[in-house]
Amino acid sequence: MKKLLIVSFSLILIGSSCTKDITSLNEQTKRAGSVPAETLFSNALKVLTDQTASCNVNNNVFRFTVQHWAATTYQDEPQYDFSTRAIPDGIWSRMYRNVLNNLKEAKGIIEADALLTAGEKANKLAICDIVQVYTYYYLVTSFGNIPYTEALDYDNLFPKYEDAKTVYYDLLTRIAADVAALNPAESGITAKQDLLYSGKVASWAKFANSLQLRMAMTISDFDAAKAKAVFEAANAGAFSSAADNAVFKYLATTPNTNPLWVDLVQSGRQDMVAGKALLDTLKSMNDPRLSLFFRPNNAGNYVGGVVGMNNTFGAVSKPSDQMALPNFPALLLGYSEVEFLRAEAIERGFAIDGTANGHYDNAVKASILFWGGTADMASTYLASPDVAYATAPGDYKQKIGFQKWIALYNEDFQGWIELRRLDFPKLNPPVGAKSGFPNRLTYSQAEQRLNPDSYKEAAGAIGGDKVETKLFWDKF
Amino acid sequence: MLFAGSAFSQGKTVSGTVKDDSGAPIPFATVTETGTKNATLADASGKFVITQKGNGTLTFSATGFKPAMLTPYENPVSVTLVKDAYELSAVVVTALGISRSKNSLPYAAQQVSGDDLSMTRSGNAASELSGKVSGVEIRQGNGIGGSTNIVIRGTKSLTRSNQAMFVVDGVPVDNSNTNSANQTTGRGGYDYGNAAADINPDDIATMTVLKGAAATALYGSKAANGVIMITTKKARKGLGVTVNSAIITGSIDKSTYSRYQNQYGAGYSNPAGGTYGAPLPNWGFWYFDVNGDGTKDLVVPTTEDASYGQKFDPSLMVYHWDAFDKSSPYFKTARPWVAAAHTPVDFYENSLSTVNSINFDGANDKASFKLGYTRNDEKGILPNSRVLKDIVNFGATYNLTDRLTAAASINFSKIQGKGRYGTGYDKQNPNQNFRQWYETNMDVYEQRDAFFRTGQNITWNWADPSKADGSGLKPIYSDNPYWTRYKNFETDQRSRYFGYASLNYKATDWLNLLGRVSLDSYDELQEERIAVGSVAPSAYTRFNRSFRGYNYDLMANFDKNLTSDIDLKGVLGTNINRTEISSVFSSTNGGLVVPDLYSIANSLNPISAPTENYQPTEVDGYYAGATLGYRDMLFLDGTIRRDISSTLPKGANGYNYFSASGSWVFSKNLASLTWLSYGKLRANYAEVGSDAPWGSVKDIYANVDPFGSAILFSLPAQKNNNNLKPERTFSKELGVEMVFFKGRLGLDATYYITNTRDQLIPVNVSTSTGYATKIMNAGDLQNKGIELSVNVTPVKTKDFSWDLRLNWSQNKNKVVALFGESQNLPLASFQGGVSVNAPKGQPYGQIWGKTWVIDSATGQKVVGANGRYLITTSTTNNIGNVNPDWIGGIYNTVKYKNIALSFLIDIRKGGSVFSLDSYYGMNSGLYAETVGLNDLGNPSRDPVLVDADGKTMPNSGGIIVPGVTADGKPNTKRVPNIGGTYGYGYNPAAGFVYDASYVKLRELSLTYSLPAQLLEKVKGIKGIDLSLIGRNLWIIHKNTPYSDPEENLSSGNYQGYQSGAYPTTRSIGLNLKLKF
Repeated sequence: MKKLLIVSFSLILIGSSCTKDITSLNEQTKRAGSVPAETLFSNALKVLTDQTASCNVNNNVFRFTVQHWAATTYQDEPQYDFSTRAIPDGIWSRMYRNVLNNLKEAKGIIEADALLTAGEKANKLAICDIVQVYTYYYLVTSFGNIPYTEALDYDNLFPKYEDAKTVYYDLLTRIAADVAALNPAESGITAKQDLLYSGKVASWAKFANSLQLRMAMTISDFDAAKAKAVFEAANAGAFSSAADNAVFKYLATTPNTNPLWVDLVQSGRQDMVAGKALLDTLKSMNDPRLSLFFRPNNAGNYVGGVVGMNNTFGAVSKPSDQMALPNFPALLLGYSEVEFLRAEAIERGFAIDGTANGHYDNAVKASILFWGGTADMASTYLASPDVAYATAPGDYKQKIGFQKWIALYNEDFQGWIELRRLDFPKLNPPVGAKSGFPNRLTYSQAEQRLNPDSYKEAAGAIGGDKVETKLFWDKF
Repeated sequence: MLFAGSAFSQGKTVSGTVKDDSGAPIPFATVTETGTKNATLADASGKFVITQKGNGTLTFSATGFKPAMLTPYENPVSVTLVKDAYELSAVVVTALGISRSKNSLPYAAQQVSGDDLSMTRSGNAASELSGKVSGVEIRQGNGIGGSTNIVIRGTKSLTRSNQAMFVVDGVPVDNSNTNSANQTTGRGGYDYGNAAADINPDDIATMTVLKGAAATALYGSKAANGVIMITTKKARKGLGVTVNSAIITGSIDKSTYSRYQNQYGAGYSNPAGGTYGAPLPNWGFWYFDVNGDGTKDLVVPTTEDASYGQKFDPSLMVYHWDAFDKSSPYFKTARPWVAAAHTPVDFYENSLSTVNSINFDGANDKASFKLGYTRNDEKGILPNSRVLKDIVNFGATYNLTDRLTAAASINFSKIQGKGRYGTGYDKQNPNQNFRQWYETNMDVYEQRDAFFRTGQNITWNWADPSKADGSGLKPIYSDNPYWTRYKNFETDQRSRYFGYASLNYKATDWLNLLGRVSLDSYDELQEERIAVGSVAPSAYTRFNRSFRGYNYDLMANFDKNLTSDIDLKGVLGTNINRTEISSVFSSTNGGLVVPDLYSIANSLNPISAPTENYQPTEVDGYYAGATLGYRDMLFLDGTIRRDISSTLPKGANGYNYFSASGSWVFSKNLASLTWLSYGKLRANYAEVGSDAPWGSVKDIYANVDPFGSAILFSLPAQKNNNNLKPERTFSKELGVEMVFFKGRLGLDATYYITNTRDQLIPVNVSTSTGYATKIMNAGDLQNKGIELSVNVTPVKTKDFSWDLRLNWSQNKNKVVALFGESQNLPLASFQGGVSVNAPKGQPYGQIWGKTWVIDSATGQKVVGANGRYLITTSTTNNIGNVNPDWIGGIYNTVKYKNIALSFLIDIRKGGSVFSLDSYYGMNSGLYAETVGLNDLGNPSRDPVLVDADGKTMPNSGGIIVPGVTADGKPNTKRVPNIGGTYGYGYNPAAGFVYDASYVKLRELSLTYSLPAQLLEKVKGIKGIDLSLIGRNLWIIHKNTPYSDPEENLSSGNYQGYQSGAYPTTRSIGLNLKLKF
């Protein structure tokens, strides 16, 4: 008995120490170790669109900044307090982590895919890059200097920020190269996974060209020559009708609805109401978009809310019913905006076809049609002296700035850029403003904690990490 | 000394058992042939065999007992030793369940008796450890069945669990906390408690806390945070039955809850910031026709969840929320504009718990058994909350032969929760409303009546009652709080088995072999509901999780006297630890179809794919340890262990542990000092390792819901790493134990330094890297501390005694290094712009956020041109630290004849807590601080009035915030007291950080034991104890306004933050203990 036990004890002891590879237990059995590149692309595109479409006070608060909307009760963000809810942190993290890095990963997988033809590969890579450029444009115009060449590298945990202008010019180079690389004869992202253009490579080329127009115009005050060169090169290939619009078609069911619906309807909240500045403008100019943008208050009247002040929900107008549909589409870039850009380009002496007046009319009309108005409504509106290009008040910057401010309704991030660039219309500061007009966002608070040296260097380089600090292209 | 026996023929070999006066065996007693060097040691069960050379007497000695001599008259003999006047808790259960005499222990190990851990019958032995052991910091929130944070000797891991390991009779018992990241960072969710709560407090004989690495090195990596060793009660000879019943009721400690101002009601503003529609002077009201008489009426702005509105005026008749409730007697009826008669304090009910247990035990020479059942039924202070625990435990041993013993035990527990309290900033936490966003005109009882009258979500917080079609009669931000509790409740259950089967073979008198298989297995289900009609979209989620832990142990223990002076004890063994965690989370999508049907199939939209997890791990360990003892005076210990872990990269997954310790019982060299009864010095050094979290090596992709027919994937938030190496902890410890005046004064002091290096942690990284975290070897966290325990018996007479036990400990930690050029590791970020950080060179747990701009010349806060404080734009200012300066407990026991009074005072000094309740609640004008008279003697909320010359008028309201202007002169600018004046609107996060010190009367019990004479008349009953028990009866001192400084969201690393904090429950009860 005793011997038996000692022997078996020893045997078990030896037996258990025999080498076996237990590290196989560490294998992932419930998560994918490899995925198709296009799935990462589609996800990046959706996150990017969600960011620009959302009206959540934790994500995208620029509807208050351009005073298209006002808030009922909670005035932090309308009063330019972006730190209570760490808005910059959210944007920073979503853009770098969920959009840019997924696109980078997608590119890497595409590069390594031996089964793709050279043409397919070039198309897919260029399309991924176009979305990256769009995203970096958002970041560089929001913050100024940003991590760029050192970004998206998990071995460099303290990426340096780069000069905003350098980044911007590189983006221009990249997107021009992307356009050159696109070959409509070859396939791009598959129709199923291409949530913007259902696989049409030619449409992506138009989108990239239109984006170049936007980017060129953004720096037109700072570097007219560069703006002109880029604009003229890209203009012919840019949007020629509303059919080219970069429209993201949300679905009717959660979780793929337009984020607007989540906050306006599903949440049961009633934070968001019409801004007085925009609503009064629409009303006074008999703008057909009044009822397309907003719905009346409980008494059936159109009343705007003062930005920064408490507004009683029942007493003021709200975003329109169509905006509150779960599948309301989101616009990443539209024909109307492109036509405004062309009108301005002509005024700035860029050599492109058409007249400023003609493009201006196209732009306004495209906006009205997009929102569900008719061509007749547009003609009537354009005929009114306040609107007609010839008679509308102010110089071209004011005319275009004013109409663009209206037409970029629900594209408020770009609206904020144009308000900074064209400085028109002049809006009253919100009641109880916590700072001057935001010319940029302060950097993510997390960067102060995680990447302090690079942060401090960048803050110093741009002239202080304040919302009032003007960015390089915002000369006036 | 007592012994029984008759004449016994003189022989050479004597065997027997050494027991204490309760009949329990005394392990490792020394048996010496008196006057010779012939000696032996009894084994762990008190059995000894000695071969006598002469016919003389034997001397029996054991630490903590008076030595005894006897001449054996029978064989085997039974020897009973009487406890010595001072007691060093004679035997301590150490790592791997090895019993050792405390005399020989070269490291700190503090033991608490089971009775001390169930004194107030809270049902949670872990939380009852608070204040009773030095070096152990316990934090227990006020939620029902909530988790207990148990950290020994400070935070060692920067981001991973710092919770102590639990071992019950040698079986590692998993103590996971499955609370979500959202829950622990205050973003909502329930505190489901931690799994150590499944241990039956009534079955605990002793709890030993092994604090340092040297004490736990044999356990391997799982014990890196210290070990709580629980030894369950042993069966005694004969049949014993114990019945223990308690009934306890509790009510909230109002000093830990909001007290509201009662002068102003609903609203955010005064005329300066806009009116709500009614013409002046009734600016604070909406204005529309309610009763249909064609004239507009004054209506309380139900959407305005703050109390910066119009001043109360009983003569003013206004329409409240109930004017729109058809079932209300006030339907379309105006009521006076007054503060609510019933504030949220009245929302809290009395708690009621019953704790009943029955334990049977019995033993004879061959076998022993015990069987216990405990039922703990707790109804909490929130309506519709209940946690029910049923625990059954069974254990038995059988001596198959003289040398071979089989033993097995099984514990079964079932925990069922319903209506645990919603936590954090979330609609399911009524305190988000009550403590942050609240109208002081809202009467909680009216809300209660409305809910029970209709069963509907009739809220005070109507979205838009002005709408003629009634479509605005739905809640906008807050549900009726009773709706929240009765409709949106969670349920959960956890069924668990843990136990072991073992064979113990005594191969020779010096070699013992043990084979043991142990199992810890539980399955849990957490279901959360949001009813149709709530503010939040209706939903049902379920989380199924199972845990399996298997341990296979083979262990050889030997104990041999090398010479009569030198004793060698040793252990050699192997342990295979295998765990499997498997879980599935599933949720409805977009709402529920059929109200009140909580099933995944009742989803409005097609559901998202459930989230599955399967995480198996294995650690194979081999270990050896030896203790060399010289004359019971000098001891040398060494251990070595090697672990191979499955979670590290192949080839780099083996790591070693070493420990070396020594102790010297110096009092043996100082026998002439009669006042010194005992003295021991001990010192040790240990290096231990630890492995990575499961799944840290290879990269994966995260699932995302498909978008129509498009498939989506994403990179995960964490970058994994295939270059990981084991984490290392280096620990040094020095201690002294002394007993004076024959046990009237005892002292145990320890100093330690621990460094945990190359920590295997997911570190937060700049998201511009494309990831939120990266797992890597990073960081060196140092903990230095002092622990002190003192036992004093100031008075001891035949009838009266007073015992005092003091525990005090101080731990200072410092982040020595992080990684690369990193200067800070953010641990968590919270609402309010507040983060908890580990900055290099500073203590772990710094609270960062915005603070005031301070004038360097005067040290005063600087006020800007607008009359408000200037606030830093940077969010990296140090505004607090979560770590206490020191913690302590004073435990008193006073006995007079049959009456015993015990009470525990639990103290924490220092540490900070940020209160989101103040941040928002002060902002929305809930508290007394936001009203009152200003420097001119006028109500501060009155408007600021200036005359034509710009001079303040004598009847002006407003306040002048204390501070200086930019040029250092006192601020004189008067500002209106509008919403935000005292809250986050115009104050930095630093304004809401409070000192978390407290002095609490934690436990109290007054016990009357029926005298033995009385009991003799009642056949069969051996003892009756009747106790009056109380817990958290009195917070003697604290500095946090309206809250309990100890309240937290959950156990874990994220402490120092309160949001929607629950009040303390003061409980008092009766306990009856019967022994048959």
